[in-house]
Amino acid sequence: MKDFDALQIIWHNQVTLPKVSHEDVFKKIRRTKNGLSNKLLLEIVGMSIAAITVLTVWWIIPFTMWTTHLAMLIFLSCCLYFIATMIDNYRQINYDKLIDKPDDYISYLKQYKQDRYLLNTRKYSIYSIVLSSGFLLYFIEISFLSPLWITALGLLFTSIWIAFSYLVLMRIYIKKEQSKLQGMIDNLERIQKQFEDNDF
Amino acid sequence: MSKEVLFKEIFEANSKKIYHLCYGYTGDDESANDLMQETFMKVWQNLDKFRNQALISTWIYRIAVNTCLSFLRVEKRHPKDELTENIIENKREELSDKNEQISFLYKCIAQLEENERFIITMVLDEMPYAEIAAISGISEGNLRVKIHRIKQKLTEIYNKYERF
Repeated sequence: MKDFDALQIIWHNQVTLPKVSHEDVFKKIRRTKNGLSNKLLLEIVGMSIAAITVLTVWWIIPFTMWTTHLAMLIFLSCCLYFIATMIDNYRQINYDKLIDKPDDYISYLKQYKQDRYLLNTRKYSIYSIVLSSGFLLYFIEISFLSPLWITALGLLFTSIWIAFSYLVLMRIYIKKEQSKLQGMIDNLERIQKQFEDNDF
Repeated sequence: MSKEVLFKEIFEANSKKIYHLCYGYTGDDESANDLMQETFMKVWQNLDKFRNQALISTWIYRIAVNTCLSFLRVEKRHPKDELTENIIENKREELSDKNEQISFLYKCIAQLEENERFIITMVLDEMPYAEIAAISGISEGNLRVKIHRIKQKLTEIYNKYERF
């Protein structure tokens, strides 16, 4: 039988040392920093190219119908919304929160997860509907200018692409995310109770 | 003093204790190293904000605790499950060695609840109660009672499995 003092002696005799040195931390910082910046840069550059393409097409081609102008405005807004969301997401990795009390930090994590879920479900649905309506409006003028088969083919490919993204890819993603999220929130709530200062 | 030199000093002064905290929380050496590394990456990223703080260790511990909590959230790890009867049997046979004794003690700590793991590793590292209270966000009065309970619980777990 050992008492707590005996455990304390075992603890102080420990020779287990961390395998990470400060140089390792520096190396990882450099790798992660570059990785994050590159990812952010790639996503923003990619969507900016899309936005510039839309603007150029809008500028160069003399569209005559108001529906096409509205479609272009919708495409542009979608691109800008996407960029703004990405920047906002990266901003949310807020290191100030790390020095909060554990109880407050868990609340922040729960809120962050819920926001992410909202973004991937409701906001993505709205985004898909708006983008689809943009394409529908765009194809009105195309149908007057091009042979029917081109319009039909364009509409078909666009519909398949949007439907596949929303109905297949996004549903799988949402289903996975939802079960994961619920598990995480349950877990966080359980831990949060341990940190609440209400023993008496 | 340059940021690198300051960071090196902070790392050398705190890394061992932060490693103990992470090891106590996860119950395994590899994850403890990962979490300690992640903690100090965050310390580096926030170093400018720390400069005016009186007690830098409290800040670092807060970051370490919150990093560990995020780790559980992401990885869904359940260290409690790790102390199975088989592991206990194996550990018991090897207890003669000091390394094995400490490893067994860490496994026992991993059986406690999450907040208890943090508190007990800080107690074992002889951190002042006021600082533990500041880190965990619990009043000092409550903390003293909690510590008393956790000490009893840990001793019971240790003795229960050591007896076999």
